[in-house]
Amino acid sequence: MSLTGRTRLSILDKPLSRGKGEVSLSCFALLFSEVVQYCQNKSQTVPELQNKLHELGQKVGVKLIDLYFVRERNCKREIKLLNILLFVKSTLWKALFGREADKLEHSNDDENTYYLMEKDPLVNKFISVPRDKSSLNCAVFIAGIVEAVLTGTDLRPKLPPTGTKEQHIW
Amino acid sequence: MTVYNIYIFDKAGTLLYYEEWNRLKQSGMTRGRGGKTNSFVSKISPTDTKEGFLCYKTSKYTLHFLETPSGLKFVINTDVHSQGVRELLQQIYNQVYVEYVVKNPLCNLSQPIQSELFKSNLDSYIKQSPIFLSKAL
Amino acid sequence: MSRSTTRFDTKKVNSELVTLTYGALVAQIIKDLENTDDVSKQLERLGYNMGIRLIEDFLAKTGTGRCLDLKDTADKIQTAFRMYLGVQPNVANWSAAGDEFSFVLDSNPLTDLVELPEDLKGLKYCNIICGVIRGALEMVQLDVQSWIVQDQLKRGSKH
Repeated sequence: MSLTGRTRLSILDKPLSRGKGEVSLSCFALLFSEVVQYCQNKSQTVPELQNKLHELGQKVGVKLIDLYFVRERNCKREIKLLNILLFVKSTLWKALFGREADKLEHSNDDENTYYLMEKDPLVNKFISVPRDKSSLNCAVFIAGIVEAVLTGTDLRPKLPPTGTKEQHIW
Repeated sequence: MTVYNIYIFDKAGTLLYYEEWNRLKQSGMTRGRGGKTNSFVSKISPTDTKEGFLCYKTSKYTLHFLETPSGLKFVINTDVHSQGVRELLQQIYNQVYVEYVVKNPLCNLSQPIQSELFKSNLDSYIKQSPIFLSKAL
Repeated sequence: MSRSTTRFDTKKVNSELVTLTYGALVAQIIKDLENTDDVSKQLERLGYNMGIRLIEDFLAKTGTGRCLDLKDTADKIQTAFRMYLGVQPNVANWSAAGDEFSFVLDSNPLTDLVELPEDLKGLKYCNIICGVIRGALEMVQLDVQSWIVQDQLKRGSKH
C-alpha cells in the first residue's frame, strides 16, 4: 500500500519543519525503555551500559546542534561559553523537555567547570534502579546530548561538562 | 472502610506483587491462599467476565477482581462497605503499574515486581484513596 | 473511537526528541550488526518488545475491552497511532476475506529529518512499528503478521 506523496522530494528540498511537532510522552518513555534494554543486552557492567547510553545521547546532541542553530540562530555560531550554556539551559531544554533546566552554576573551585542541574530528568521519571545496579543513572543519555552540543560547538577545550556521578547534575 | 491487601498476577497466573496494609484478623486470608485467588475467582464466577471485573463478598471482607484484556489480574481485598473499588483498581493499573513497571526498562514484565518506585507509589496511592482508612476494624 | 487523542494522554514531548533518539538507536544497531536485513529484523524485535509494554499503556489509558473483530482492531490501532505518534493513518486495502488490510501513513514522526543513504536502501527503517503492532496484539490474543508494503524512505505498513 502506498504513501500518498507521489513525488519523492529529497529531504533537502523540503522546508525544515519548525520543530513544534509533538508525540506522547508514553511513546518516548517506551522507546527510551527499549534503548536502555538494548544497551543493557550489549553490556556486561553498569559503566559499560552508561557509556553506551552516553554515546547514544551524543549522537542525538550532534544532530540537535545543526537543527537548532539553523532554526533559532540563523546559522550563526556561538563562541561564548556562557552563552552556549545558557542556550542549552533555556532554549534547548525547553524545546526538548518542555521547561528550562533547574539551575546553571559556576564552580567555585574551577574557573572552567559549570554544573547544569536538573532535578527531575524526563528519562528517569519511570526508572527505579535496583540495588545491584545502584550506580546506574540513565540520565547519562542527557549528559551525552549536552556534551555533544558543547563539543560540537567547539567549546570542548574550555569545558567538558562535568559528568559527576551525583544524580542529575552534569 | 479499609483496604486489606492487593495481589497482582500476570497472564500465566504468576504472582507479581503482594502487599498488605491492614491485616484482617483470623480470616485465613493468607498469602498462600491468595496465590490461588485467581483460579478460585474464575471457578466461582457465575457470569462471563467480559467486563473484566467482579467482586465477591463474605461476611468479613470483599474481594474485587479486575482482569485486563492483556490478561493481567489485580485483586484487592477490602472491608465489606467499600465503594468504587473498581475505579481504584483501574487507576492503579493506569497510574502506578503502567507508569512504574511498564515504562521501567529495568522491570521484566513476567517477573515479580521489585521496583521501589512502584512500591512507594502504590502505597501512597492506596493510602490517599478514600477507601483506605488507616486502622483496621 | 474517533475522538481526539488528548483525552487519553495529555502529556507530550517534542517529536524531534523521539525522532532523533530513534535515529541514534538505528545508527547504533547498524554499527553493531552491519547486515541491513539483520538490522531490519532487530528493529522489528525491539518493536515487538515495545508493543508488549505499549499495549498495557493503551489498555489502561483507553479502558478499552477486547476487540470484537478485525475491523474493530483496525480502529483501535488507528487510535493508537494517534495517541502515540500523533498521526492519523488511513485504513485501506481490505482483502476480500476481510483478514488483511493496510495502514497508510501520510506523515510519520519517525522519519522526519531522515534520508537513507544509497548503501542502506534495503533498510526497513520503520520496521519497529510492525513489531509494535505484532507485540501489542499478541498480548490480547491476536496473532498477526505485520509488514511494510511500501516506504516513502520507501514506507507503508500493514498487517
